[in-house]
Amino acid sequence: MKKEIKAIDVIVLIVTLFIAVIFAFPIFFNIMSAFKSNSEIMRDAIAFPKEFYLESFRYLLTETKYPEAMLNSAILTLCSIAVMILVIPMAAYAIERTNTRWTNGIFTYFLFGMMIPFQVYMIPLFKQLKMIGLFGTLWGPILIYIAGSVGFGVLLYTSFLKGVPREIEESAEIDGCTRTGIFWKIVFPLLGPVTASMVVLQGLGIWNDFLMPMMVLPAGQAKTMIVELFYYVGEFSSRWDMIFAGTTMSLVPVLIAFLSLQKYFVKGVSSGAIKG
Amino acid sequence: MIAQTKKKKWTNYAFWFILPALLVYTAFVIVPTLSSVYLSFTSWDGISDNIRYIGLDNFIEIVKSPRVHNALKNTMIFAVSLVILENIVALALAILVDQVRWFRNLFRSIFYFPVLMSGIIMGFIWMIILNYNFGVMNQLLDMIGLGSLKTDWLGDPDFALISIILSTVWKAAGYYMIIYLAGLQGIPQELNEAASIDGANRWQQFRHITFPLLAGATTVCVMLSMIGSLKIFDQIAVMTDGGPGFATETLTYIIYKVGFGELRQGFGTALAIVLFLLTLLISLIQIKLLRKREVQM
Repeated sequence: MKKEIKAIDVIVLIVTLFIAVIFAFPIFFNIMSAFKSNSEIMRDAIAFPKEFYLESFRYLLTETKYPEAMLNSAILTLCSIAVMILVIPMAAYAIERTNTRWTNGIFTYFLFGMMIPFQVYMIPLFKQLKMIGLFGTLWGPILIYIAGSVGFGVLLYTSFLKGVPREIEESAEIDGCTRTGIFWKIVFPLLGPVTASMVVLQGLGIWNDFLMPMMVLPAGQAKTMIVELFYYVGEFSSRWDMIFAGTTMSLVPVLIAFLSLQKYFVKGVSSGAIKG
Repeated sequence: MIAQTKKKKWTNYAFWFILPALLVYTAFVIVPTLSSVYLSFTSWDGISDNIRYIGLDNFIEIVKSPRVHNALKNTMIFAVSLVILENIVALALAILVDQVRWFRNLFRSIFYFPVLMSGIIMGFIWMIILNYNFGVMNQLLDMIGLGSLKTDWLGDPDFALISIILSTVWKAAGYYMIIYLAGLQGIPQELNEAASIDGANRWQQFRHITFPLLAGATTVCVMLSMIGSLKIFDQIAVMTDGGPGFATETLTYIIYKVGFGELRQGFGTALAIVLFLLTLLISLIQIKLLRKREVQM
């Protein structure tokens, strides 16, 4: 299977390498700058750090609300995903397996939500959260994330469920299993690949989200990492070292998740793409 | 009789299975969307309880306002240039990753990683890179002796939009690359081999074999990048805040500015309705094209 190396192969490699350097540079630049002091960054942006400068991390972790914001980001991401995985596959299963007129109607109703960008309903949402007393709690954004993912999630799960045979469910039903039991013990484990794509795509989206948490979490208390970073850009406009430290702390979990779950990230993209 | 009770049992469980998703979705997507429609006919400021009905005044203002026209123009510039550039770059990256003989997975990961970043972080990094005094871009231009090209990339109205567009291409291209790559890997090797035996050069092979067979992936990517470009928000918030002046203000950004900055939420929701209709139109075209594609396949 070993082919001889041709000139074209080397040219392709060099071109790809060159473009890869351009693509990787901003991220490399970010992480490198996190270990430089502010004056070092200002003096020579491209130079390597002279010493391993950790003061900006220390400042961020002890003098600001960043640790709380990190906790908020983690809680928001994990709770939203947990409830999504609890609620959406069940709905998709019922819709796909019953196939009556009203479940099909609900399916169309759910899909409609995929066409509504968040900005369309964000202004009334603000007032609505205040009215029902969820403004300022983490429950507000969690519910909004779940609601926003119903359309896409149901579509993803129903199309996968079409390929899952019903025979096992039917025999389990004859054996006297309840619907809930059948779903969680037999069907749900078979949905693993879709669930993985869901977790990865939605988790990333929530972790990185900006506009909604900025709006619905009140000023004066810690928000999410991304929102805090946005404020720091304005507030500490001359302390780039600190912001670089903050962005690095937000990027590292994403990088770790990506490297360990790469397969699902790639699959998630293609499943999301095919269903649009 | 038995069949009937069985059927009833199915419907019963379905109701309880669907109910939680239905409630959350209705309460936090549909109800506020309908409220948006209602509020778009009012002059509500977002704070007071006094919501005054003003008919079509907001929409008349949209038609007349030069600021809205400017935002729509910017949105269109974003959409058209992002769709074209993102797809060209993504296809080029996919071809390189597909052709390269070594480190294929590493390259794919590097091109894909920017997709995983928040628009805020990406915007911040590029803001620093493009900074006039301390940025890498101007430093590099100095180093290669092109110091005369140094520009305030985000502060100059002529360059701000272009700077955001190019940095967004950097962020998004990897996503579409994955889709093109899946398409490329689905093309049978024999086709290109047969063509090369018949004397077709690489460009001819690409033009007449690879590209036509990527039609499906292209449709998907063009539509997705179109919808994506309408939603651009984070990088504008961090890099320019819609400025300098109104040079980078888009439809989504003006909704936010008007609604929360200027407390004209009635007018903001009217703009939101315009955004909704625009997205709906594009989505409908998308569904139509995808259906057509399914028939062909």
